[in-house]
Amino acid sequence: MSGVVSVVRAVGLMLVELVRSGVAAAVRGIVAGARWGESWLLEGKKALYGIAVTRILLGTSAIGLLLTNFSTRLYAFGSGSLWNGEAEEPGSAFPQIWIFRAFHAVMADDLAYTALYLVLLALAVALALGWRFRLLHPVFFVLWVGFIEANDMLGDQGDNMFRIAALLLYFTDPVARWSLDARRRARRTRAESTERAQISSLLHNLALVALAAQVCFVYVSGALYKAGGDPWSAGYAVYNPLMTNRFGTWPALSELVTAWGPMVAIATWGSILVQLAFPFLLLTRPTRIVGLCAIGSFHLAIAVLMGLPWFSLAMIAVDSIFIRDRTWEAMTRGLRARFAAARAQSGSGRGRLTLRETARIRTE
Amino acid sequence: MAPRPPARSPLVRVVLVLASALTAWHLFASFLWIAPPSPLREVVPGEALRGYMLPMFGQSWSVFAPEPVNGSHRLLVRAVVLDGGRERTTEWVDATAAETSMIQDTLFPPRAGIQAGEVAGGLKGRFEKLSTDQQKVAGLDDIAPGWPERLAAQMRSLGEEEAVAAYLEQDRRATAYATQVALAVWGEGVQGVQYEVSRQNVVPFASRNDPDASPPARTTLQTGWRAPLVLPGQSQQAFRDVFLPAYERTGR
Repeated sequence: MSGVVSVVRAVGLMLVELVRSGVAAAVRGIVAGARWGESWLLEGKKALYGIAVTRILLGTSAIGLLLTNFSTRLYAFGSGSLWNGEAEEPGSAFPQIWIFRAFHAVMADDLAYTALYLVLLALAVALALGWRFRLLHPVFFVLWVGFIEANDMLGDQGDNMFRIAALLLYFTDPVARWSLDARRRARRTRAESTERAQISSLLHNLALVALAAQVCFVYVSGALYKAGGDPWSAGYAVYNPLMTNRFGTWPALSELVTAWGPMVAIATWGSILVQLAFPFLLLTRPTRIVGLCAIGSFHLAIAVLMGLPWFSLAMIAVDSIFIRDRTWEAMTRGLRARFAAARAQSGSGRGRLTLRETARIRTE
Repeated sequence: MAPRPPARSPLVRVVLVLASALTAWHLFASFLWIAPPSPLREVVPGEALRGYMLPMFGQSWSVFAPEPVNGSHRLLVRAVVLDGGRERTTEWVDATAAETSMIQDTLFPPRAGIQAGEVAGGLKGRFEKLSTDQQKVAGLDDIAPGWPERLAAQMRSLGEEEAVAAYLEQDRRATAYATQVALAVWGEGVQGVQYEVSRQNVVPFASRNDPDASPPARTTLQTGWRAPLVLPGQSQQAFRDVFLPAYERTGR
């Protein structure tokens, strides 16, 4: 009898001990996780090259959109467009907020409108070059949102993505690499205090997290919304918009690329699968390469076939944060080496660099 | 034992906690807003989600879903013009074709090229929400000053306040656009304008490679003749400078 009791006691004690050590391990795990998270956030800014590319491409997208619409600016946004009723009652909430009202206020004045348009263009150039970012980006942001939202009818979802990305960009440090600001910083000798550096890292990294989450949510929900539609599950959905006036900007090309059914099905299902899988593909290096190439081709196709180049470029801009600094550095080294080799080849009569010389430049 | 974490100042700790909490909320709110609406949204009380997301984080990603766009809108305009002291009704002008010529076969299409299609699509959508009697009212001719007020009063007397208000806004915009087209093409003698809005779906996927396949029939609506409507601040020259060359390019 006592033998049974002692076994039961032993099992009971063992269970208590298991629970106790389990809880202790969980607490240790949480504490270690929190410490890891804390130092991830506070010590060092992540994806500095990636976010610099985001800045350059967002700026380029803004420049491109402004140049594309320059010759028709008065017709579509200015004094020629007031039949649209925007002057009487804005279609978007933004022109009703005073800081976003500049473009709306000068719609009827051709000279002032054009002047403001050129100021915005100059600010977009400054953004792409990374010149005086801390000072000028808020001005660019406020003017840009006011410009694009002054004609609600002509807007698309790309404008929303651009606005959100441009806002989050301000909390990051997108001029630490590949910018004019970075050159100026390099000349400055004053060191940042630890406290300041930690807070600056914190905001940078949190904004990166928000930006990464934003794109992942957008892709996955885009896939979920599509999955319920018959043309998508039947594998021919991309055909329809390509045949319309608005999204079939190259009618002959649209016919060509949709002529072979299997290609249409691959593009249709491929876009759903890539969007849905995107966050998971990011998790390991090989799948990340596949995911980024796939989403890049998806945007390239939208840019060319559907006439949405600047929207696509803005999306590619944000996707750039998923390429690691190490990769950007390697790519730059590779490009430099090739350029140096090409220059040596064309410049000196001696001819090509030897393989060893190329390799030396690449590792430098 | 893990190495001791480096010292953090109280300021850094406070900012760390606040900024992380704000980011966590932003992520959660964005997730709820971007994902298809689900019962999970109920965990955020009242209007807090909408209040946080709009207008700055406003977005909707049900683009091309569940079914992608599968047709094009067309907006035709004609006018009654004074020609040597006599009134003459013009031929129809295809405003959509003129604007579409700006966006086709180019890598960088300007937004100007989608306006007529947007006007047509907006009007058609609102027109279809009207009752049959209200649609008949929209089809009445009235080229005397004060027509917008008369049109509004007649439609409102037939009920459906919200649908009527939404339609009238589109009718006003379409008439103001048609007026600009008419003034650009026929000059100052325009006495009245009329527009016709239609939509045509694309050739079904299964018949895409059949050279004899024709697209499905157009669904068309015509509203009545209206007196020209020029909204305050409108520059006819800025409109004409872009529209006319595009119209002449399309050769109609």
